[in-house]
Amino acid sequence: MSGDAAVTSVAIAGSGLAGWLAASLVARALPDLAITVTETPGPDRSLGVTTAAEILLPDDLLMLGEAGWNGPDLLRECRAGFLLGTALTGWRADGAAAFMPFGEIGAPLGPVPFHQLVSTQRRRGEAVNLANYSIGALAAQAGRFAPPPPGDETAHSALAFGLCVDTQRMAAMLREDALERGVQLTGALSDADLVIDASGPDSRFAGAREDWSAWFPFDRVASARRSSEAPPPPYVHCDAHAAGWQSFAPLADGVGELFVFASADAPGAPPAEPFAPGCEVAAWTDNVVRIAGAAAQHDPVSGLQLHIALADVLRLIALFPATRELAAEAAEYNRQWREQTDCAFDAALLRLARTGARGAVWDRLRASPLPERAGYRHDLYAANGRIVLHDGEVLDEAGWIAQFDALGVQPRKGDALADALPSERIAAHFAAIRQAMIAAVGRMPPYQALLAQAVA
Amino acid sequence: MMGAGPIRKVVIAGGGTAGWMAAAALARLTGNGVTEVVLVESEEIGTVGVGEATIPPIRTFNAMLGIDENEFVAATQGSFKLGIEFAGWRREGEAYLHPFGAYGADIDGVKFHQVWLAMRAAGLPLPLDDFSLCTTAARLHRFQRPDGNPASPLSQLAYAFHFDAGLYAAFLRRHAEARGVVRQEGKIAEVRLDGESGFIRALALEDGRVIEGDLFIDCTGFRALLIGEALGSAYEDWSHWLPCDRAVAVPSTRTAPLLPYTRSTARRAGWQWRIPLQHRTGNGMVYCSRHISDDEAAATLLANLDGEATADPRPLRFTTGIRKEPWRKNCVALGLASGFMEPLESTSIHLIQIGISKLLALFPDASFPAHERDEYNRLTALQWAQIRDFLILHYKQTERAGEPFWEECAGMPIPESLARKMALFRAAGRLFRYEDELFTDASWTAVMIGQGLMPERHDPLADTLDPREVRDLAMRMADAFRRTARAMPTHADYIARHCAGRTM
Repeated sequence: MSGDAAVTSVAIAGSGLAGWLAASLVARALPDLAITVTETPGPDRSLGVTTAAEILLPDDLLMLGEAGWNGPDLLRECRAGFLLGTALTGWRADGAAAFMPFGEIGAPLGPVPFHQLVSTQRRRGEAVNLANYSIGALAAQAGRFAPPPPGDETAHSALAFGLCVDTQRMAAMLREDALERGVQLTGALSDADLVIDASGPDSRFAGAREDWSAWFPFDRVASARRSSEAPPPPYVHCDAHAAGWQSFAPLADGVGELFVFASADAPGAPPAEPFAPGCEVAAWTDNVVRIAGAAAQHDPVSGLQLHIALADVLRLIALFPATRELAAEAAEYNRQWREQTDCAFDAALLRLARTGARGAVWDRLRASPLPERAGYRHDLYAANGRIVLHDGEVLDEAGWIAQFDALGVQPRKGDALADALPSERIAAHFAAIRQAMIAAVGRMPPYQALLAQAVA
Repeated sequence: MMGAGPIRKVVIAGGGTAGWMAAAALARLTGNGVTEVVLVESEEIGTVGVGEATIPPIRTFNAMLGIDENEFVAATQGSFKLGIEFAGWRREGEAYLHPFGAYGADIDGVKFHQVWLAMRAAGLPLPLDDFSLCTTAARLHRFQRPDGNPASPLSQLAYAFHFDAGLYAAFLRRHAEARGVVRQEGKIAEVRLDGESGFIRALALEDGRVIEGDLFIDCTGFRALLIGEALGSAYEDWSHWLPCDRAVAVPSTRTAPLLPYTRSTARRAGWQWRIPLQHRTGNGMVYCSRHISDDEAAATLLANLDGEATADPRPLRFTTGIRKEPWRKNCVALGLASGFMEPLESTSIHLIQIGISKLLALFPDASFPAHERDEYNRLTALQWAQIRDFLILHYKQTERAGEPFWEECAGMPIPESLARKMALFRAAGRLFRYEDELFTDASWTAVMIGQGLMPERHDPLADTLDPREVRDLAMRMADAFRRTARAMPTHADYIARHCAGRTM
């Protein structure tokens, strides 16, 4: 009989960023629920690893906006910086730096996608840098930025931006919001119809687990927040080094650093948090839904910890059980969560396993065969530049193209329709795009001035 | 023969809708100055195409070819389509419309059909139809193209076409020939394979001519002369889910008013289609030969025409299913050669269209690497299975009683993917679109509710909205759709003004 009753209470285990994100968004979406949050001591590993800064993708900002969290608040409260993409150094065999912008790159010519035009021109002997046709990359390079004004119809309208937020400050902001909405803080987990486990990898609810250490060799993570007098750039910088990689995420008043490495390859490295990549076999069992780092522990190279936590919370809200009979919702939640987990696995693995980075650990990665699905994605792109898209992608088509291209993966063969176009026609198309973008960037204000105003 | 470099010669075997659609689209490849496109067809061999109904994505195909829509409608004696009416599918005497376009507008992030379910639970059972502009206009026999203003209710309108498939093929033939495709008249006598690779090397015609090529497109219909007979690509039978295996088609005289929708009427052991064209009405009956004889099926069809039959009924046999490898060796099958699903949701031309666009995007070079083929086959299997599930829903979710055919359908086991979708909708009206599937939430909602699969509850998010505000908003939406539809011209007038075909 109780199966027919509505879900009226939710207990959230874990008071890190993931827990407060769930508390705030669920309380906003379903104000009649009784929600409690159990406090957890120690560093915040709710997203899987401890970080000083986290990334919100362009789409995340839209989603948060729909839930009532708008950009200006996030900027001010979270000491955030704007992001236009990620700069890579040390990842390519030719030693070149690369930039992976957010948003579309270039524009299609009729039915032919832009990256296929590029591939055709390159095989015809032209050197084409993808980033030269991304308004985000050009703006980042010029040190200029402004969000596209509403109704803008110039090249500026294609500018996609995310935010880099201070992890602790975002958790504090969400906590304050949740408490204002009546969420109760408790010492021990309270009895509830539904439990949201946001307590990270050491969760007491941990069930059967999949171990990914055969694919992902990096098992140590060190994070730090450094203050900085220098103005922050509008991009994350990610550098590959001999034993792993390191990233610098720009906040309004500092830098969130992350140092990730394989302990076997870095003897004498300073102490760091152990990290074990893997995931739960099922995120939702009985009345417990594991979210974020309690459900999956992805190598943080894609910087998607917060994106995945947000997706988990929004998926739970979209599938919030109509009654205490939870089976139909749980099955669908697990299906969608698994799709996203697999896609995030592929994105991180292809970012790490097929690079030109130097070091024994990178050599081992390059020498290992890829699992079937990731291998299929890589081989198809390497064959003809086609992107495989599944449900639950964490990178969109443009994101996959930017990643493959930045790592130096080049399609062997072109698109037949692109190859049927004369070189001059494509060159004229490229020139027109670039000209419009450069003009639009020229009209943007200097980034530093805009950021100072936004976080003031 | 498995050389390097671009494909030099594409040979399309078979005209008809599939062949000429492929020819018109592949003509673009000749721009590289290397590739030639040849189509072989015989005037002796009839094509299966009858009155065809389509779905909105065909507009993308036409736009890609640069076809003027009015010119195309006039040339094919076409008409406009706002959806499909399903009569008797849930129960005898009841009908619902599966419209194109959305239902209402989401409110504060809550999906409209959830708002509708919440209103219903609160004792306000408004017809779902009132919240679809396509349905409202269709019921009034009215049509107008949407305008670009997103604030106008008209922006909610989506449309496709009905047309004469024979005239469509002829129209595309003119288009393709004008762009360099060469047509060869002749009957294929033999498909010649390379002894070593097993690739198709050439088609030998009855008059002795031999047409060599690098890539062959099999558009030979059910015979599947290249992909099936010559290359042995196996066929996956889906008739345990979609048991109809025959059809009989007959044209009849046009009647008034000219309906802007396709009609599908459930019969004792199958269903009858009705496709309104400018010069006539296309009719047919799809049925299961285990439950009804050919004579009885034809008699039922003829007894249920709303105009005079203008030709003898033409019979057709098929096995619903899909070619396991629609691309094998150097041959890609399109249209009936690649598989068959009954035209219940007007997907036949769409399946050809997505085959062509996939082929263009994955167009191989002369070395025929496996990646292109594998990806083409993977996407095809996925897209076909999604449409298959949607068709099965119509048969599975029925309350027709006392008829062995329908009782068998209601009791049959269904694919797990569909069972999951139905269970989720039944629990709280939830829908998720998988892997970029063709049919939208609105389509699934229309057919699930139309077939009587009413959710037991609604999404708890819908209860967070103010019920009075929601009711007012919903009333205003329905009112705006009604007024917009009433202001449209009739379908017949719209055609007369913009795209009338030549009187025949």
